[in-house]
Amino acid sequence: MFADNWKISLRQIRRLFIMDIFGMSSLMLPGILSSMSGADGIFCLILGMAGGALLLCLMGANLRYIEKDFYSYMKETAGQLLGDIFMVFYFLYFVTLCGYVLYELTALVLTWLLPDGSWLGISLILLLLGMYGSARGIEGRARVYEIIFWFLGIPLLIMLALAVSDVKTAYFTPLVASDLASFSQGSLAVLIFLLPLTALMFLKPFCRKPEKLVSCGKMAMVVVIILNIVIYLILLGVFGRNTMGILSRPVITLMGMVNLPGGFFTRQDVLMTAVWFFALFALLNTGIFQGTLVLKELCQMTRNRFSLWVVAVIVLLIGKGFFEYSFLTEVFEIYQIWVALPGMFLILLLLLFLHWMKAERKIQKGGTGGCGN
Amino acid sequence: MSIQITSDLQENIRNFEELFSDCEDIKKRKIKVGQHLSQECYIAYIEVTLSSVDFKDSAVGKLLGKLRTMPEQELAAYVKNNIEDISDSQPFPTIEEAAEGMLTGDVLFFLDGYNKALKIPDKGYPGRGVYETESEKVIRGSNEGFSESIKLNTALIRKRLRSPHVKVKESFAGRRTNTNVDLVYLKDLIHPGMLEEIEKRLGEFEIDGTLDSGIIEQLTERRKYSPFPQFQTTQRPDRAAMAILEGRIVLLSDNSPVALILPATYNTFIQTSDDYYSRWEIASFTRALRYLASFLAMVFPGLYLAITNFHTQILPTDLLLSLAAARQGVPFPAMVEVVLMEIAFELLREAGVRLPGANGNTIGIVGGLIIGQAAVDANIVSPIVVIVVALTALCSFAVPNEEFATAFRILKFVFIFLCGSLGFFGFLTGLLAVLIHLSHLESFGIPYLAPFVGADLNGYQDERDTFLRLPLNYLKKRPVYTREGARTRLRLNKEKEKK
Repeated sequence: MFADNWKISLRQIRRLFIMDIFGMSSLMLPGILSSMSGADGIFCLILGMAGGALLLCLMGANLRYIEKDFYSYMKETAGQLLGDIFMVFYFLYFVTLCGYVLYELTALVLTWLLPDGSWLGISLILLLLGMYGSARGIEGRARVYEIIFWFLGIPLLIMLALAVSDVKTAYFTPLVASDLASFSQGSLAVLIFLLPLTALMFLKPFCRKPEKLVSCGKMAMVVVIILNIVIYLILLGVFGRNTMGILSRPVITLMGMVNLPGGFFTRQDVLMTAVWFFALFALLNTGIFQGTLVLKELCQMTRNRFSLWVVAVIVLLIGKGFFEYSFLTEVFEIYQIWVALPGMFLILLLLLFLHWMKAERKIQKGGTGGCGN
Repeated sequence: MSIQITSDLQENIRNFEELFSDCEDIKKRKIKVGQHLSQECYIAYIEVTLSSVDFKDSAVGKLLGKLRTMPEQELAAYVKNNIEDISDSQPFPTIEEAAEGMLTGDVLFFLDGYNKALKIPDKGYPGRGVYETESEKVIRGSNEGFSESIKLNTALIRKRLRSPHVKVKESFAGRRTNTNVDLVYLKDLIHPGMLEEIEKRLGEFEIDGTLDSGIIEQLTERRKYSPFPQFQTTQRPDRAAMAILEGRIVLLSDNSPVALILPATYNTFIQTSDDYYSRWEIASFTRALRYLASFLAMVFPGLYLAITNFHTQILPTDLLLSLAAARQGVPFPAMVEVVLMEIAFELLREAGVRLPGANGNTIGIVGGLIIGQAAVDANIVSPIVVIVVALTALCSFAVPNEEFATAFRILKFVFIFLCGSLGFFGFLTGLLAVLIHLSHLESFGIPYLAPFVGADLNGYQDERDTFLRLPLNYLKKRPVYTREGARTRLRLNKEKEKK
């Protein structure tokens, strides 16, 4: 009656996106960046953020012209066929991302929380929870992350602050020693982890202040990159480049090493896993929600239920695929670098160009009409 | 088909007595009135609701006294023209309506030659009067509690809110009980649509009887399978008045000392009356404690199981060894042990509630001390589990609303099962499921987790009265339930002068 269930506030969007991007990036980027560019990973993070800012600018430019929703805008600007192709592209992006996150989240649980658990059981529980979270619209999902944001954020910041004392600054050198190839590869990796920001394009109908969507995205990105820089520096200072490169989840390992004052809890890694559990679950939920939304619009369905189940089954199969066949992880990397990343930029650029063309044509037509009269 | 009341008294009496045949508790008397006592009138009432027909102080007594001094031919005209002089009297044109009027606890008056029946109030149904509340105890503030009489309850609210804007909308629920249901609200504060919404929901069902507000609560809430209540309940008039001042609606039901307040949120269930009567530091401290208690009442036994069964590496070795030593000799797995103790505790609690006052206390002592100690001595449970269960119970008692605390008591068992079988992963999934559920839950359109979520709707002002209760000077705005444009609750004179 008073709370509009389909409209969310800017604070909710900001927190949701911080959780969305933070989980995967803080878990995986330190290992990737340290093996690629060592201490120069910091610059990769900054350059990746610049790429993210460019993507957000393109999104902002397009968002100005979206009147109803992104799909309608794509169809109006590029035509039905191209609009559908673009939607399929986004659908594939979200479900594959979701499948990968399901795999990562399950692996996290199996490694840190329940080593004797079954992959399928854990995945099913997580997937069902994700479906439950997405079933009643975006508001419920946004509310969860609005409320737990500081409950996760404060312990994380405290742990990071406590870890600073173990940092050895000698590990920060050599600086600016990477070659251009590894430097650009690192930056691309950072940019890939920022791609979930494209979900912003679909949020215009759900946002109370859609004109500020992009600034929300920018804020989320800056916060996540700053956090990642801090985490990266601490990890680098504690483990050094070589050790960090071989640890699978260095940030969680770090959490287990930090000594709390008073010394009551001896190992906090299990407790701190909650941060990444919730953060990865946020991204899983986003993937399910966006995938369902895109499929629903593509198939012109009135209700979510069918598309939700379809997405869930696809996600489970993809997750299972990652778990069973390790080569699929490499395929996913290739897909992200060569298809998803350029695709996101190209679609937005193409849409802008087509919109500009249409507007020009309209002006010309209007001008001719005016002279004729 | 309704039976019309006619000028013929005998016909009216026949119809009325036919309707109330075999009702020995209903007293029916024919009384002679008029100067020469040659005309008849007829009064009917439920035995205990009338103090005395001849009492000069009572409205009925006064009316009869007056009618005995008047000429017979003027009686009907006198009654017809002076209805308003008789306190709160009401004329009814049909026998059925008159009967309903009498069943509210008033006296029914028929007069020969007058084609209506008059309902005249007197003592009414017996009631408890105003007593101290059994629950929702406060350290500071009024101790008055609601009683079973709806009239008394509305008066207790009116006593606190002496404003003409306080409206009481009356309706009836229950085909056979015809229970009075009052909606009390401040007309200039309630959100447009909220009153219509509750009225719509009240009209959505037809039931034979509503003997307590709990029945109305269950029939009007939307998420029936949620363990969390969607109406706040209170037995305190000051709490109800406070809710009305926040633009919320209070629903009172006759024969029930429990008022329903709508809308309700997690935050409102944690608040107590004396949060606002005490200084902000202590109010904030106890508020934060209650939030923690509500969380621990749900998860504490589960967390114990998760840590001791799955993630022992978290605990220091000394503690771990003492835990293991305490469990030595206990034949059950930890989960069974916790479930046994929790069930034993719930049994004690139930027995304590059902037994009369003094015996209830004895049950607490017998159960808590003697059986607990005996169970530990017999190595059936470990002392640490007794401590865990006792602490959990303390936490659930610290939640100020019984219905709300019950939700956590039920969920506690879900967490025991999840954490006992899946460890910390079970805890996280359980927590996530509860969070998702709560984030979906709404009470009359207000998110259950407000103002932690959607606080932007009221400029983030409502967050000043959540975990912490900031000094009253900072709580200048009413919460989001209030209609927009009427949210100023406090204006300091300094600010007024500046303006």
